[in-house]
Amino acid sequence: MKVNITRWDTVATWRWDIPEDDVCGICQVHFDGTCPTCKYPGDDCRLLSGKCGHNFHMHCIMTWIKQDAAKGQCPMCRQRFEWADQPQESTVQTEAEE
Amino acid sequence: MTSFASKRLAKELSKLKNGLPPGIDLISADNFEEWLMDIRVLDDNPIYRGEVYRLKFRFSPQYPIEPPEVTFIKQSDRPIPTHPHIYSNGIICLDLLGSQGWSPVQNVETVCMSLQSMLTGNSKNERPPGDEEFVRSNRKRPRDIDFYYDDNTV
Repeated sequence: MKVNITRWDTVATWRWDIPEDDVCGICQVHFDGTCPTCKYPGDDCRLLSGKCGHNFHMHCIMTWIKQDAAKGQCPMCRQRFEWADQPQESTVQTEAEE
Repeated sequence: MTSFASKRLAKELSKLKNGLPPGIDLISADNFEEWLMDIRVLDDNPIYRGEVYRLKFRFSPQYPIEPPEVTFIKQSDRPIPTHPHIYSNGIICLDLLGSQGWSPVQNVETVCMSLQSMLTGNSKNERPPGDEEFVRSNRKRPRDIDFYYDDNTV
């Protein structure tokens, strides 16, 4: 039997390699979703990890850290917020449908 | 209102509707600008025993980057709690609610819990110094008042 594929649609989900139940403390959205200002998850809406061990959406922590009131501190632990080199590996799972 | 504040508040609201810590109740949240909450203390502190207090939260479009404005409001069955950091018009002096002490990881629930423990831990049945004068003369909104957080004992 010969099958001709005429078209297919691809579907992808995005997942960061961090614990399942983690939400960004600032927007309270799961890290696998975007920050409230973005539409698509992934490299355009990255996560930022502090050396203190706390993660945030990059856009969320940047909005906070540029405030005077932030005093350069992590919102979770109030240590000086310095970001670590990107430790998260992202994995993309792709499913194809016929 | 920016979508950031309303999305964050929508998240909080659905979490609040799934359950709240003891002594904290959601009274109304019809929009993303003003919510009403009730709190009561859980121990036998004689100053607050048997009373329920109503809190009004007002959110700016910059919430949670900016703190919410939180005050006690008076109704026939909802007095203003007596506390050295709570003025008789309901304005609260708490560093957590000022721009110097606020953190965007705080939320309505954690603010309610902080106020609950602020009452629970208090043993002074008194108003702040200068309460009458402050209540008579203050025309500022709480966020515009420069409080001095000089007393860490209560």
